[in-house]
Amino acid sequence: MPGALSICNAGKVYDPGGLNVVAMDGITFDIRENAFCVVVGPSGCGKTTLLNSVAGFDGLTSGEIFLDGERIAGRGVSAKPGPGRMVVFQNGALFPWKTVLWNVSCGPVQQGRMSRAEAQTKARELMAKVGLSGIEDQFPGQLSGGQKRRVEIVRALMNNPKVLLMDEPFRALDALTKSVVQEFLLEVYDAIPKTVFFITHDLEEAIFLADVVVVMSTRPGTVKRIVKTGLPRPRDHTLLTSPEFLRLYGELEALIHEEAMKAFRAGERELA
Amino acid sequence: MSSITQPRPLLRVRRWAARRWNLELLLWFVSLGTFALVWQFAKTWNIPYLNSLPSITDVVTGASDLVTSPKYAEAWWLSLRRITFGFVAAQIVGIPLGLAMAMSRTTFYTSFPIIEMLRPIPPVAWIPVAIIFWPTRELSVVAIVWLGAFWIVLLNTIGGASNIDVAYKRAALSLGSKPHHIFWKIVLPAAAPSIVTGMAVGMGISWEMVVASEMIAGNNGLGYLLWQSFEINAMDQVIVCMVSIGIAGYISSALIRALGQAITPWQRLF
Repeated sequence: MPGALSICNAGKVYDPGGLNVVAMDGITFDIRENAFCVVVGPSGCGKTTLLNSVAGFDGLTSGEIFLDGERIAGRGVSAKPGPGRMVVFQNGALFPWKTVLWNVSCGPVQQGRMSRAEAQTKARELMAKVGLSGIEDQFPGQLSGGQKRRVEIVRALMNNPKVLLMDEPFRALDALTKSVVQEFLLEVYDAIPKTVFFITHDLEEAIFLADVVVVMSTRPGTVKRIVKTGLPRPRDHTLLTSPEFLRLYGELEALIHEEAMKAFRAGERELA
Repeated sequence: MSSITQPRPLLRVRRWAARRWNLELLLWFVSLGTFALVWQFAKTWNIPYLNSLPSITDVVTGASDLVTSPKYAEAWWLSLRRITFGFVAAQIVGIPLGLAMAMSRTTFYTSFPIIEMLRPIPPVAWIPVAIIFWPTRELSVVAIVWLGAFWIVLLNTIGGASNIDVAYKRAALSLGSKPHHIFWKIVLPAAAPSIVTGMAVGMGISWEMVVASEMIAGNNGLGYLLWQSFEINAMDQVIVCMVSIGIAGYISSALIRALGQAITPWQRLF
C-alpha cells in the first residue's frame, strides 16, 4: 500500500476573538512512501496543528495536503479522519473500557472489512508477531505505559494505514521505557514498512528514528531545515553513540536550541 | 540491638507476640470494648446526658419484640419500595438529561439556569410543597427521595460526559466510526464511572430523604417507625430502628457497588 504524503504551503491561522494567531505558515515538504519522517521543534511551533490537518481532525486556512495524489486538506475540503491515516496520540487513546484484544481488533470491524472473529484472529496473530502475546484479555488500565504505547501502535497497524501519524507518542514515558518502545517501533517499521509522520521535541529521538528530520521554527511554525539522516537500518540503541549520529546531533542541536530560546523569550513577552 | 545477640527462645516468643498482638488489633478491641461498656452501663452508672440510653441487653430484648412484629417487616418493605421507585426514577430522568446537557449547548443553557436556581434548596425543604403537590403521601415521599438522588446523579453525569478526552473521539473517527456512533461508543462508556459514583452518593442521600420525609409526611416505613417509637418513649425501639436504617443503607450501597462493578468492570483495576 503506497503512502506518499505531500504538504504544499500549508498554513493555519487561529482567530479566537480577532487575535490572528499564526500557528504555522508556508509549510512545504514531501514524504516518500514508506519513509520515516520526524518533525522536530519546540513546544507551540505548530507540529500538532500540522499533524491534525494531515489526520483530518482540523482544516487548513491556506495551502493543501495530498496523500497519494488525493487532496485531503485545503480550501473546499472538509476535514475528515479515516482508516488510511491512523494516529497514535500523545497521551494514548486506547479505550479504557474495552479489553486490549477488542481495542486492537475494533478498526477492521468498524470499517466493515472483517467479522469480529476474523479481526480478533488477525489481532492475535499481529500481537504474537510483535511479541505482545498474553495481554489480550486485560484492560488498558492494567498495562504499563510502555505496553500501552506498543498496543496502540499495533491497533493502528491493524487498519493497514497508508500513513502512520504519531503525535509525540513517547512523551510521557520515562527514559528507559522510551528507549525500549523506540526500538519496538523500529522493529515494527522494518517488519511492516509504512509511511510514518512522527512529531517530537526530542532531537535524539528524531535522529534515532528518522530517515528525514524536518526542523520547525517557533511560532509562526515554518520549515527551518530538512535533513536526510542517511543512517543505516536496521537500527538499535548502539546507533546513539555512533560518530554519524553524534555528528548529526551536533549539527541540529544548535538549530533547535536557537528556536527553543526564541520560543522562551516570546513566552516571556506574552506574560509581561 | 541486633537480633543475633538475643537468645533464640526469647526471639521466638517475641515473634509470636508480634504476630498475635499487634498494636492495631489491640486498639480495635480497646475502642470497641470501651464503647460497648459505656453503652451497657450508661444508665446504671448514671453518666450525664447518657443516662436515658437503654443498655445493650435491654435493646436486644426489646428488639426481639419489634423485629418479629409484622409492622417491622412492613416498614422495611415500604421504605425499600420508596427508595427503589424514587432512586430509579431519578436515574431515568437524571442520566439522560445530564447526557443531553453535556452534549448540546442549547440544552445546557436552557436547563442550567433553572437547575442552578433550584439545586441549592435542600430536598427536605421541599417536603411541604411535595405534600400539597402530590395527591398521596406515598407519592410525596417518593418525590422527595427522587429529588435527593436526582441532583447528584445529574451533576455527575454532566461532569463525566463533558470531560471526555477529545483523543478518544478522534481515535474512534479514525478507526472508522461514524459521528453518530460517538455517543454510544465513546460518550456513554467514558461517562459511566462518574455516573456510577453519582449513583453511589445518590443512594446515601435517598436514605436520608426517605427517613426525613417518612417522619414528617409518612404514616409507615422505617423513618416513621423510628419517630413513633420516640413519641411513645420506647428508646430501645428507637435504637433498633436506627440500626435497621443503617443496615438498609449499607445493603443498598453494597448493591450499587456491585451494579457499578458490573457496568464498569475496567474500573476496579485502578
